[in-house]
Amino acid sequence: MAFNEPVLTKRIDADPGKRKLHFYDDYVATGGYKSLRAALDMTAADIIKTVTDSGLRGRGGAGFSAGQKRSFIPREKKGLHYLAVNADESEPGTFKDRYLMDYDPHSLLEGVAITALATQVDVAYIFIRGEFHHEIKVTEQAVKEAYQKGIFGQGGIFGSKHKLECYVHMGAGAYICGEETGLLEALEGKRGWPRNKPPFPAIAGAFGRPTVINNVETLCCVPPIIERGPAWFKTMGTPSSPGPKLFGMSGHVNKPGVYEDELGITLDYAINKLSGGMKGGKHKGTICGGISMGVLGPEQLDIKLDFDDVRFRGGCLGLGTAGMIVMNEHTDMIRALRNCVRFYAHESCGQCTPCREGSAWMKKILDRILAGEGRARDLDMLLELEKSQGIMPGTTICGLADGTAWATRTFVNKYYEEFAAKCPEERPTQMGIKRGIRNVTTPMGSNTR
Amino acid sequence: MPKITVDGKLIDCKERQMVLQACQDAGYKLPSYCYHPGLSIPASCRICLVEVEGIPKLVPSCQTPVRDGMVVHSRSPKAVASQKQVMEYLLINHPLDCPVCDQAGECSLQDYSYEYGRSQSRFEEDKAKKPKKDVGDNIYLYSDRCIMCTRCVRFTREVSGTSELYVDGRGYREEIDIFPGKPCNNKLAGNVVDLCPVGALLDKDFLFKQRVWLLKQTPSISPVDSGGENIFLEYNNGVVYRIKPRYNAEVNGWWISDDTRYSYKIIQNEKRLKSAFKKEHGSLTKTSTREAFDFAVAQLKSLAAQSSGSLYAMLSPMMACEEAFLLGSAIRAIDPEAVLILGPVPSAEEDDIFRHSLTGQQTFVIKAEKVPNAEGIRRVISQLGGPSANYNELISGNNPLLKNLKGGWIVGGYLSNWIKGALPAALATGFRVVQDILPTTLSESADVVLPGAAWAEKDGCWENYAGKIQPFAAAIVPPEGITREGDLYLALLGRTGVYNAQAIRKEMGEPFAAVSLPTEHVQAPAMEFAEL
Ligand SMILES: Cc1cc2nc3c(=O)[nH]c(=O)nc-3n(C[C@H](O)[C@H](O)[C@H](O)COP(=O)(O)O)c2cc1C
Ligand code: SF4
Ligand code: SF4
Ligand code: FES
Repeated sequence: MAFNEPVLTKRIDADPGKRKLHFYDDYVATGGYKSLRAALDMTAADIIKTVTDSGLRGRGGAGFSAGQKRSFIPREKKGLHYLAVNADESEPGTFKDRYLMDYDPHSLLEGVAITALATQVDVAYIFIRGEFHHEIKVTEQAVKEAYQKGIFGQGGIFGSKHKLECYVHMGAGAYICGEETGLLEALEGKRGWPRNKPPFPAIAGAFGRPTVINNVETLCCVPPIIERGPAWFKTMGTPSSPGPKLFGMSGHVNKPGVYEDELGITLDYAINKLSGGMKGGKHKGTICGGISMGVLGPEQLDIKLDFDDVRFRGGCLGLGTAGMIVMNEHTDMIRALRNCVRFYAHESCGQCTPCREGSAWMKKILDRILAGEGRARDLDMLLELEKSQGIMPGTTICGLADGTAWATRTFVNKYYEEFAAKCPEERPTQMGIKRGIRNVTTPMGSNTR
Repeated sequence: MPKITVDGKLIDCKERQMVLQACQDAGYKLPSYCYHPGLSIPASCRICLVEVEGIPKLVPSCQTPVRDGMVVHSRSPKAVASQKQVMEYLLINHPLDCPVCDQAGECSLQDYSYEYGRSQSRFEEDKAKKPKKDVGDNIYLYSDRCIMCTRCVRFTREVSGTSELYVDGRGYREEIDIFPGKPCNNKLAGNVVDLCPVGALLDKDFLFKQRVWLLKQTPSISPVDSGGENIFLEYNNGVVYRIKPRYNAEVNGWWISDDTRYSYKIIQNEKRLKSAFKKEHGSLTKTSTREAFDFAVAQLKSLAAQSSGSLYAMLSPMMACEEAFLLGSAIRAIDPEAVLILGPVPSAEEDDIFRHSLTGQQTFVIKAEKVPNAEGIRRVISQLGGPSANYNELISGNNPLLKNLKGGWIVGGYLSNWIKGALPAALATGFRVVQDILPTTLSESADVVLPGAAWAEKDGCWENYAGKIQPFAAAIVPPEGITREGDLYLALLGRTGVYNAQAIRKEMGEPFAAVSLPTEHVQAPAMEFAEL
């Protein structure tokens, strides 16, 4: 396997000074919309098969097979089909989708159009995070061009009989609206509260109709796959995680930024070869795919960054978005975890009792540990509360709570000594009711409140 | 029909039913907060999580459809651990002020703590503090007690369609709230108090009045309109303290209107007539019911003896059918040609129709006709046969039958003063026995005044607009000095014994004979609203 030439970033210069925004003419001049014209000559089933054969897995976090997702959409059409582009990129440490939209918005639109052909989509919504003012402007401009050039609109895609409308929808800056069903609710004008699944969006999505939801990067992978074929796509990456990937490197590295390489490079390679090596000290840990996935420990530099190795050998939830936050030896892991948990407590949509109450409780415990009032059983408590969260045990509606769980689980377990040092065994005190250790050794053993 | 096994019990289900509902129907209880059979299913509180064999995760039983042969465990270690955890979570920020909380005694949080919770909280941080809010003319919201089940929000969106309540904020900071200047005052608003599984939404009217475990329930029917909403009268020591909805799929579902909810106030109305009067030397003098009654009977008999067809009975649509039957029969026993007149039937312009705010589907109707039994009285009058008329004919004097009337027995019983403006001429002349619960210009000029009993003080049945005949029962006894109408009419008929609504219905024949009171005549307060 080898990564020889940029695929997703072929129009984005490695040198930030030379990067240029590609609108329609530049895009076409560099080979754009060839795949869409090719796709117009293919049957829907062929397009789906090509994408499935390529082994493309979702780049939005879950790593679900993109081809399979398309095949769930009912063949027989009984009404409108929708496509929702997830450009709500809010996962801390993740900044790859905006990079694509910043410089190459038409590659996304081409991916949208091809996917619409495959799943008979009538209306596509590009749901962009509200804070992405520039990206919203750029994408709106590109969509306008695409309407003018006969890609979108009632004239049919390049005059064909397949008609596609496309709208840019601005989010209001809530992380939870990146969760696919939260996104659909927000799109429908409601509060971004994720839905229970089943029914899955492929059957009842936006406005109750079959809906494909894909991440920006996933869709940007589609045109190259159509153009050069699944076999070529599979020359990159690993057998179970083929293809190129954007790695968002941040934290204590010398050259933070977005880098394209193939899936399956090691963490060591990503830090040292892509982003110029550690800054300010030795490697202590790397949050691997946005904070929801958990943290890779100091000795896990050999972990392969693909959808499976991070999970099975790395002990994390998965690769996620491959937004890496690299931390050097001077990082306070308790602060780091507290920061993550604070994020979840703040962003929890508040529907599910375990997520709403649990994340706030865990944050309060971590605040107390940081204030120097931790004790040993706080860690047991954290590890117990963490287990009560998430769609994996089935106790919550969406995966946000799994983020809280995995961040806590991996941080506390992988840096147990550091946490334990701040959480000593119970200290009996004369008064016994100093805040933080009250209820512990009060003479009557009673609750002092 | 699919069958599932829950904790070793075989349960018959309906097709496409959810596990939780199937269990509830079969009388097997699973805990639930956010689920309400009359609302959409958010499956968000997560107290109802169960294990289903073959599915590795816990699933919400309220949102998992039954499958034939499904094996469900709600008491497995995994399910129990989850219940305990959810209970602990719900309590960490709960003020635990049960001693001063109105909901105490009928609170799901208390009940499930006892059944599913852990005895000690491990939460040692500071509790979140949230404010009390005035969210409507009749409603307080104690946000700190709220468990965010969103039942109330869904009600205002999906049933009343008025969408006053919403969730403000996100995560642990979220609260139920109203939009500024838009209080929750719709005509169904009180239902959100019933819906609330905890003591967060409280009825200002009931606030701090009674501990709920002291209240007893009697099934009854709403007296405010022809809809026939099914209710429970909740009372203690002879005082009705509140009215709660009683589930009836065909009539009111789970809900009642606020008019119904606060209709009990008529019982305690200060102006109520509490003793009998008779006219002596041109003015009304207080007397005993017995004496007034004897005087009335003697006068009516002498009028009837002079000429037949000179008496009438004005049967009010507030009366029970049984009472109307007895009074009608009695007046005909005195004067076989007596005219039976249906009293005034007040009506609003049109029905109040409530719709789901998104789908537009009709969810509830408050009938325009503001009396409970116009249909029933019409039916009784036609069953008794003979001369009859209606109120408009009486006051306009158009009907020749009504030319010779010399005396009558007029029943009111309306919840508010029913004589608007000056007394109609037809009611101002002749010998008039007036039986009412509130004083009116008519009762002030009558020859005999008899105090009436309110519906909560007597048994009977009413027929709603759709022809459904529904019985109601006495919760309390009438105030001192008031004899129930049924007993008076039996005396008027010269019969002995006490009034028994069921026995009278048998005498009246079909369709009344088939009507009988629900078996839960007197019942402890329901633990869970969904059971009503
Ligand atoms: C809490 C939460 C937040 C998410 N945020 C995003 C996001 O910002 N962008 C995104 O593409 N996917 C996000 N996802 C993943 C989506 O739910 C969904 O899996 C993804 O959009 C599917 O696209 P893909 O198959 O192309 O990866 C999030 C998931 C969760 C649980
Ligand atoms: S898990 Fe958290 S964020 Fe997701 S639906 Fe439940 S409460 Fe909302
Ligand atoms: S106020 Fe009551 S009904 Fe409304 S969300 Fe809170 S607990 Fe539920
Ligand atoms: S009752 Fe099932 S999740 Fe609330």
